[in-house]
Amino acid sequence: MNGLISVLRSVRERRLATIGLIWLALVCIAALGAPLLAPFDPLDFDPLARLAEPGWPHLFGTDHFGRDTLSRAIYGARMAVLIGTGSVFVALVVGGIVGMLSAYFTKLGHLLMRAVDVLMAFPALLLALVLMTLLERSVVNTIIVIGTVYATTTARILFGMTLKLKGEVFVEAAICSGAGHASVLFRHILPNLVSPLLVQASFIFAFAQLQAAALDFLGLGLPPEVPSWGNMLSEERIYITRAPWLLIFPGTLIILTVFSMNLLGDAMRDSIDPRFRKDVKGV
Amino acid sequence: MALLEVRDLGLAIAAGGRLLPVVRGISFAVEENETLGIVGESGCGKSLTALAIMGLLEDTAIRITGGSIRFEGRELLTMAPAERRALMGNRMAIVFQEPMTSLNPVYRVGDQIVEVLRQHRDLSTSEARERTLRLLEMVQVPEPEQRVHSYPHQLSGGQRQRVMIAMAIACDPRLLIADEPTTALDVTVQKEILELLQDLQKRMGSAIVLISHDLGVIAETCDRVAVMYRGTIVEEATAGELFANVAHPYTRGLLASIPPADRDVEWLEAIPGRVPAVDQEIPGCAFHPRCPFVRDLCRTARPEGRDFAPGHSIRCHFPREWRT
Repeated sequence: MNGLISVLRSVRERRLATIGLIWLALVCIAALGAPLLAPFDPLDFDPLARLAEPGWPHLFGTDHFGRDTLSRAIYGARMAVLIGTGSVFVALVVGGIVGMLSAYFTKLGHLLMRAVDVLMAFPALLLALVLMTLLERSVVNTIIVIGTVYATTTARILFGMTLKLKGEVFVEAAICSGAGHASVLFRHILPNLVSPLLVQASFIFAFAQLQAAALDFLGLGLPPEVPSWGNMLSEERIYITRAPWLLIFPGTLIILTVFSMNLLGDAMRDSIDPRFRKDVKGV
Repeated sequence: MALLEVRDLGLAIAAGGRLLPVVRGISFAVEENETLGIVGESGCGKSLTALAIMGLLEDTAIRITGGSIRFEGRELLTMAPAERRALMGNRMAIVFQEPMTSLNPVYRVGDQIVEVLRQHRDLSTSEARERTLRLLEMVQVPEPEQRVHSYPHQLSGGQRQRVMIAMAIACDPRLLIADEPTTALDVTVQKEILELLQDLQKRMGSAIVLISHDLGVIAETCDRVAVMYRGTIVEEATAGELFANVAHPYTRGLLASIPPADRDVEWLEAIPGRVPAVDQEIPGCAFHPRCPFVRDLCRTARPEGRDFAPGHSIRCHFPREWRT
């Protein structure tokens, strides 16, 4: 809890991170209130208004089916948040359990961490591509795949940190007070990992956006009918000269979201590492 | 039957396929109501012995090469882990050397004591909280009602060590191992903590094993003293007998290196040389390269344990050599 409060405080001290936080809050609001905020149904065709330029009533213009870009972008925020949080959840739970167990039970660790090494040998996008071709295109599968890809790095980080904590006297003291393995791991070690997990979560969220957009763009992510920023880029890329707004809007949204999350993550990381705390204040 | 009985305990470090002995068959026993002091230089194996008793050597490079540790008549070394966990923190407890790092930084100290209580006693949260307050009073933490809500970093070293002691005695253990409990504290706090330990022992009637490199601390608190050198107990006697009637040259060296309180001295007497490295083989008596009274026999034959006086055992070929 303490960690969380001090992280939020240090975010507030940094202007860019605050802007990032505000942007992410907007994205979340758009995601939650999509049906209320979107002026049109994101799936409704309007053949008379195909590829309309930004203006009234289509503020962001329309695509080649005459669907309202603004509405699709708002619904896209929903997917962005869903994929982001879902991937973070999968990566932290899977990676966290693998990393902590590996560090705590050394023999098991040799096995598990070698498997992690093998997965890490693949570039992230390639691994996601391979896994996605094996699975059906769906929201849940996209989350699982992206989550798995980032579970490897999470496992690595938590492996190291758990290994270090395992040698701390307070862990020995807990063992001496008769605590069992589960209690030592989850009641005594895990609470000390909350801050690094938080930072890791922010970066996974940001990378998951890029990864999901890339998968969508390559036609291997979300099903094509789902309005997501990546799918919008993928479908409309052939109209780049006739209707550039179809790419500019979703592209900008992806960039802003990833950038905001990175700013926030940077601020969080720096607040945990006291060496950075002073000199970046106010940036 | 003694409360804790260690017989021929051997510990070794596994390094590069070899086993380097660090504790070479030590035996001692602790009775109820008794304080045993184990004293020796860094690296003599005293802390490892404590860790072996508490079962903390699993998953380390230290191997138990032999012997037995019996607690309340039951063998600890072959006991099932779950059974052993039920004893730890409950019937036997340990206080560590580093009060700065032995409390979990992310929990309030009160919650950490409550946790230990609930592990071993069937208490409701409010009962456990109540008992935690009384424990903190017992170890003389000022303002216990406020302190239970403190995080470890908000407490001073002495207060943290008190909290550690409160945690250790939470379930009225029969045996309390104190591994250099005062080394990291300044002298005034040191005295308070030692008095606290003695006071608690009188109240609870438990046994204490006090591990220290400080003979002053040992003299003040212990009924019986075992002096360790390079993994063996070289001299063991009641505290009174040991200090009145030192027989082993190593113990004498330790005593001589304490600065006298009643007069100024220019130079303190030191034991020449240094503790030999673990992988170094020393024939004969392990102390002979540093012993000022060494004779030929010491270089070849390892001295066996024998009684020097009633209740005073020693491992030396020529005890009290400096008198003759």
